[in-house]
Amino acid sequence: MISGFAEAVYKKYDGSAYELMNEALVKALDMASLERSQIDGLFTTFLPGVFDGNLYLHFFPDQICSYLGIKAKHIESMEYGGPSVLAALYSAEKLVENGTLNNVLLLFGGKGSDVRSKKLTVDSYERMYSEVQNTPYSSLLKPYNYMNPVSDYAMVAQRHMKIYNSTDEQRAELMVKQRKNANRSEYSMFTGNLTVDDVLKSPVISYPLHLLEIVYPVDGFHAFIVSKKAKNLKDIKILGYGEAHESKLPPEMDDITVTPAYESSLKLRDKIKKCDFYELYDSFSITVMLQLENTGIAEKGKSGKFIENNSIAVDGDVPLNTGGGSINRGQPAYMSGSVLLYETLLQLNGMAGRNQVKSAGKGFINGIGGWSRNHSVSIILGE
Amino acid sequence: MKLEEIYEEYDNNFKNGILPYIKCNNCSYSFYYPRNMCPECGSSDIEIKNSTGNGKVYAYTIFNGEKYGIITMDENFRFYCGITGDGADTGKKIKIVFPDNNGKKIPYAKLI
Repeated sequence: MISGFAEAVYKKYDGSAYELMNEALVKALDMASLERSQIDGLFTTFLPGVFDGNLYLHFFPDQICSYLGIKAKHIESMEYGGPSVLAALYSAEKLVENGTLNNVLLLFGGKGSDVRSKKLTVDSYERMYSEVQNTPYSSLLKPYNYMNPVSDYAMVAQRHMKIYNSTDEQRAELMVKQRKNANRSEYSMFTGNLTVDDVLKSPVISYPLHLLEIVYPVDGFHAFIVSKKAKNLKDIKILGYGEAHESKLPPEMDDITVTPAYESSLKLRDKIKKCDFYELYDSFSITVMLQLENTGIAEKGKSGKFIENNSIAVDGDVPLNTGGGSINRGQPAYMSGSVLLYETLLQLNGMAGRNQVKSAGKGFINGIGGWSRNHSVSIILGE
Repeated sequence: MKLEEIYEEYDNNFKNGILPYIKCNNCSYSFYYPRNMCPECGSSDIEIKNSTGNGKVYAYTIFNGEKYGIITMDENFRFYCGITGDGADTGKKIKIVFPDNNGKKIPYAKLI
């Protein structure tokens, strides 16, 4: 069970990532009524640049444990990018369930602002260092003018428009509807009135994706603590789980509009349809649309129409990205998974305030991430 | 074949204005991104071949005023490539060209 969860998120934090890490941990320990010394497991991840601009840290989990004073019996680094925290939750639950560990800390985040200020992304951070080859194909990939992950998803959006006749307006409408959810949430960073026109008039960053359909990297950590019992929270369990991984580069895939979310959700389809709310990874507008289709919530190619025809508000027919999503929360260290999990836990514990979904018994989260959206984690949480 | 040798041969082909690709002699899978075995069947019986340079746009984007996309070649492999010319769209025919790029020849897909 999750016994404590917390966030420490800032648009731009004037200080070190290590401080943010501790801030999130202190809050989560407080919620769980636990002492730091009771933490005996750690799951985390590292992305280039997000720990105070460093390309890497020396055995980075050692730096985290050393700084925070955590004496663990088990340490694991997840490398799925955005959905890493969701996979960590599954593994941590197993390790607690079988008695290996008592209280496992999931600590995910970093500072997006250091990377952002260099006009880079974690995918393009190798451009800072001419001697670094991040992939065996770098010499063939590097010479062209593009910026991933934006350009990668932009191509998917372009092909989706061409093959399935989805439109700029449909993607913009999703952003408008998520903003309405954000306006009722108590923690969104980006709020206020937003129209389809506003989205379409914002600069095109990588055609056809506009600035206002791209997540904004921010600074922050989320801390989740998995324990045998949750003293101060409801007993939230994992009711369904799947993960899937692509090994091909996007040009080698049969169809770039099909992500590993298709496979990771395959065995959960009936359960997904019965969930009370949905949190789908929203790095870009098109990311949400792909998952709507790939997890069977909408028909293949028809996510645009689905957005037009359904209300995604908390009292709507398909409550989706109920807190406004990471598009409006901001994306801590280029990973949205924690934002989705945090909102899900607020909902399931009845702590979502004005944005509370009535009788929120089961929530479905899907996360996509990693290099070239290679990883997908599908998870259903509930009592 | 070593990975380094594949890259050397790719570079030589680029200098001569030829787009190379790799074909597996065991399962016939064609691929562009160098591995010293076939990622489909694991066979080491692979061969570097010359593409005709004819293909079509599979998907594209425009970033910083330059077009970039995924190209499907007639030899049934796809790769990322810069795109030049007007009227980019899915399905549009291209010819691979090798403009000078900071003293290095790299493939671009020219819309025809």
